[in-house]
Amino acid sequence: MQKTNRPLTHVLIVIVGFLTICPVIMLFLGSFTEGLGAFGDFTLKKYIKSYSDPFLGSIVANTVIFTSGSALLATVLAMFLAYLNTRTNIPFKSLFGILSIIPMMIPHVLFAVSWALLLNPSNGMINLLFKQLLGLAESPFNIYTLQGMILVEALMDLPMAYLIIAPAMSAFDVSLEESSRVCGASNLRTALRVTLPILRPAILAAITLAIVRSLASFAVPSVIGMPGRNYVLSTHIYRVIATGFAPDYGMAAAVGMSILAASITLIFLYRYLTSEGEKYVTVSSRGYRPTVIDLKKAKYPMFGIVALLSFVLIVLPIVVLFYTSLVPYSMVPSAKAFSLMSWKHWIAVIKDPISMLSLKNSLFLGVAGATLGILLSIFIAYVIVKVRTTASGFLESLSFLSFSFPGIVIGIGFMWFFVYTPLYATIWALLIGYIATYLPYGVRPLSSAFIQIHSHLEESSRVCGGGALYTMRRIVIPLLIPGVVSGWIMMATMFVRELSLSVVLSRPGTEVLAVQILRFAEDGLWGRLSALGIMMIFISTALVITASLIGAKLKRVNK
Amino acid sequence: MEIRIRNLNKDFFSEGKRITALDQVNLDIPANRIFTLLGPSGCGKTSLLRCIVGLETPDKGEIVIGDEIVFSQEKNIYLPPEKRRLGMVFQTYAIWPHMNVFDNVAYPLQTRKLPKKEVSDKVTETLRFVQLAGFEKRPATKLSGGQQQRVALARALVAEPKVILFDEPLSNLDAKLREETRKELRSFLSRLSITAVYVTHDQIEALSLSDMVAVMRNGRIIEMGTPWDIYFNSDQRFVADFIGRANIMDGKIRSVEKGWAVIESAIGTIVCQSRDEAVPGKSVSVCIRPEFIKLLTEAGGEGRNVFRGKVESLVFVGDIQEGEVRIKDTSLSFQVEPTTKIKEGDLINLSFDPAHCSILFN
Repeated sequence: MQKTNRPLTHVLIVIVGFLTICPVIMLFLGSFTEGLGAFGDFTLKKYIKSYSDPFLGSIVANTVIFTSGSALLATVLAMFLAYLNTRTNIPFKSLFGILSIIPMMIPHVLFAVSWALLLNPSNGMINLLFKQLLGLAESPFNIYTLQGMILVEALMDLPMAYLIIAPAMSAFDVSLEESSRVCGASNLRTALRVTLPILRPAILAAITLAIVRSLASFAVPSVIGMPGRNYVLSTHIYRVIATGFAPDYGMAAAVGMSILAASITLIFLYRYLTSEGEKYVTVSSRGYRPTVIDLKKAKYPMFGIVALLSFVLIVLPIVVLFYTSLVPYSMVPSAKAFSLMSWKHWIAVIKDPISMLSLKNSLFLGVAGATLGILLSIFIAYVIVKVRTTASGFLESLSFLSFSFPGIVIGIGFMWFFVYTPLYATIWALLIGYIATYLPYGVRPLSSAFIQIHSHLEESSRVCGGGALYTMRRIVIPLLIPGVVSGWIMMATMFVRELSLSVVLSRPGTEVLAVQILRFAEDGLWGRLSALGIMMIFISTALVITASLIGAKLKRVNK
Repeated sequence: MEIRIRNLNKDFFSEGKRITALDQVNLDIPANRIFTLLGPSGCGKTSLLRCIVGLETPDKGEIVIGDEIVFSQEKNIYLPPEKRRLGMVFQTYAIWPHMNVFDNVAYPLQTRKLPKKEVSDKVTETLRFVQLAGFEKRPATKLSGGQQQRVALARALVAEPKVILFDEPLSNLDAKLREETRKELRSFLSRLSITAVYVTHDQIEALSLSDMVAVMRNGRIIEMGTPWDIYFNSDQRFVADFIGRANIMDGKIRSVEKGWAVIESAIGTIVCQSRDEAVPGKSVSVCIRPEFIKLLTEAGGEGRNVFRGKVESLVFVGDIQEGEVRIKDTSLSFQVEPTTKIKEGDLINLSFDPAHCSILFN
C-alpha cells in the first residue's frame, strides 16, 4: 500500500508547495525590484522608501492598537460567553451554538458597513435618532475612529475565539476546581489561581489567532478605518497599490514582507500554544457532570446580555441592510420612511452590469472553487491522516502554512506571479489564489473525518466480503460525507464573501461581490450596497442549505 | 472447518527495527471447537488472527482453511479477506456508524448479492438468535456496549461462515457485563457448528470460554491443551505464572519414585506429582496454587508437605480471605474460607496436596 501512495504524496507536495510557497517567494523577490515590469533587477530602493516613510510609525502604532485591542476584547467576550454556557445554569443554551456559527456566514464587509450605517457621524441612523430626540447639533457617536474599528473587529472575531475557548472550558476537569475549594479557597480565588491558569493556553491561542485575523483584516480597516483616515498596515498597502497615479507593487511587497513575517510567527506561536493546551486538558474517562453554578437572580439579566449580543451580531446587520436597501436615503425609521420605501436600489443593482457580473463571478468562484478545493483537501487529508510518513508530515506543515497568510499580502505575491502568466486578470487567478489562501479550512474538517474512520471499519467490511472498491463506496465515502459537506460549506461561503485577496487580484471583468460592495461604500451608494449585500447573504445561505441537503441525500443513498 | 497453519513467519518494521510478530508458528485448529489464543500483549496472537483472516500477509509459511489454501508463500497464493468467507468480531466492534442495525447485519449478505427477501429473512433470524429482534431500525451507535457487541456477532454470523474469529471482543465492556457476555457467547457458539478462534489476554475468558487454549509468547505457541490441562498440568513456568495465581519456588529434585518426586526447596522438602522429564539432580521450579494450600486446624499435623508459617497479611475480599504466609524466608500466597478465624501474626500449619504441586521446567 505504501508504494502506491508515495507518488500521491509527492504530487500533493508539489501542488500545495506551488500554492503556498510560490506567492511567498514571488513576494520576497518582488520586494527587491523596481516594480511589476522590472522583475529580476535587484534593488533595495523599495525597502528604503517604504520603511523611511514618516507616516509608517503612526500606521504601525494604529495596527498594534487595533489588532491587540480587538483581540483582547473578542477574547474577553468569548470567555464570558463560554463560561456562561459551560459552567452556569443560564437558560436557552442552544442560543450559544447559533451565536458561534451564524455570524460566520455574514460577510465581514457587510457587517462593517452595517455599523457604518448606524454610527457614522454625518448620517448614521443612531446618530440621527439622538439628534432628533435630544435636539443635538452634533452627532454623539463616531464609528470612524480607532475605537470604532476595535469594537467592530472584536465582534467579528468573537465567534472564532468562542470556538477555541468553549471546548477547553467544557473539557476542563471540574475536580481540579473542587479540590481547590476543599482546600479552603473562595470561588474568586479558585478562578484566579486554578481555572484561569489551566485555561491559559486556550485563552492565549484565542488571542493569538484573533491578532492574526485582525492583522489580515481588510473589511473593517477599509470600511470603517479609511473614512476617518485611520490607516493600518493592510489599508496602507491598499493605498499604495490602488490609489494615486501609479500602483507601486514593489513597495507593497516590501511592506507586505514584514506583515507576513509577523503573521507566520504568530501562527507558529498559536500552534505551540494549542499543542501546549492539550497537555493541560484533563478529560476524565468516566462521565462526570461539572458542577453548574446557579446564577440565581442574575440568570435573566445575564441572558439579556447574551441575547443582546446575538441581536447585535446576527439580526441587526441584516435588518439595517434590508432597511437601507429600501429607503431612498439614510433616515431614522418612521412613518415617513416607510411611506418612501421602494425597490429603487434593487432595480438599480439588477440593471447594473458590473454588479451582476460580480454576482455571477462570486457564485462561480464559490461553487467551482469550493469543489476543487475540497477535492484537493480530500487527498491531502487522506495522506496526512492515513499515510503518515515523513513526507506526509511535511505536507501537513505546508498545507497549514496558508493559515497565516493575510489575504492582501499574499494577493500581492500572487500578483507578481500571475503577471507573467496568461492567468493574469482572469477568474482562474482568483480561483487559484482563493484555494491557496483558504486550503486549511477544507483540510481540517476532512482530516477529522478521516481520523474518525477507524481502520477496523474498513477491515470489517473486507472480512464481510466487500472488496476494496465496494468498501470505498459503502463505508469510506459515506463516512467522509459530513466532513466533505462542512468543508465545502466553509470554503464556499468564504469564497463568496472573499475581499482582501480580491481587492488585489480582481480586475475589470473579474469583479467579485465583496469588491463591488467596497466600491459602493467608497462612492457612498449605501442603498445599492445594501441591496447587493442582501443578495450576497442570500446566495451564501442558499449554498449552505443546498450543500446540506445534498449531503443528507448522499448519506441516505449509499446502498 | 479446521485450520492448518504451517511454519508461519511475520516480521514488522517499526522505526527501523525488525520486530518478529510470528516465529515459526505451527498450529492445527480443530473444527467446530472454540479455540483460544492466549498471551500477554505483544505476543503475536492478534497478528496470527489477522493473518488467518487475511488482513495481514505473512512473510513465510502456509495457511489452509478447510481444504482451501488461503495463503502460501511457496505456491504464491494470497486470498484477500473478502474472498475467504469468514466472520470476524473486532475489538472495537467496528459497527458502521452511518448504518442502522439492519444494514450493519445485512452487509455481508449484500456483498454476496443475495436477493432482498433472503437478506431480510436471514437478518431477522440472526438478530433473533443474538436476542436483538426488533432492533432493526435503531441507529447502531445508539446501542449499549453489550448490544453493539451482539450486533457485531450477528454480522459475523449472518452469512453462516464456517469459521468465526474474535479479536478481544470483551475488552471494551465493564467487568459485570463482560462476565454476562462471555456466558452468552459461550451458549451462542455451542449451539452452532462453527470453528471459533478467539484472541484474548484474559486468562479467565480463555479458561471459561474455550474447548482448547494455545498460549503464545514472543511470536511462538508455547503450550496447547484443554483449559484444565493448561491450568493444572503445565510444565512451563511462564504458563503457570501467566494463568491464575501461583506460588513458584526454585528447587532441585532429590529423588523420584512411584510417580512422586521429592524436591528440595527453600522451605524444605516438597513432594510433587512427577513428570517424565523429572530426574534426580535436576534444577526445577515447584508451582503451588493458593487454592491448594490447606490450613490445618489440628496443631502439629504430620505427614507429607506440612509446613508451619506466620501469617504476614490477611485481606478479606468477600468470598474468601487472601493472605501471605512466611515459611522460613519465603512468602507464599494462600487463601482460606471467609469465616476462618485467624489473624495477622498467627502461627499456622499448612499442607500442600502433592497431587496439586507441579514441577515446572525452564
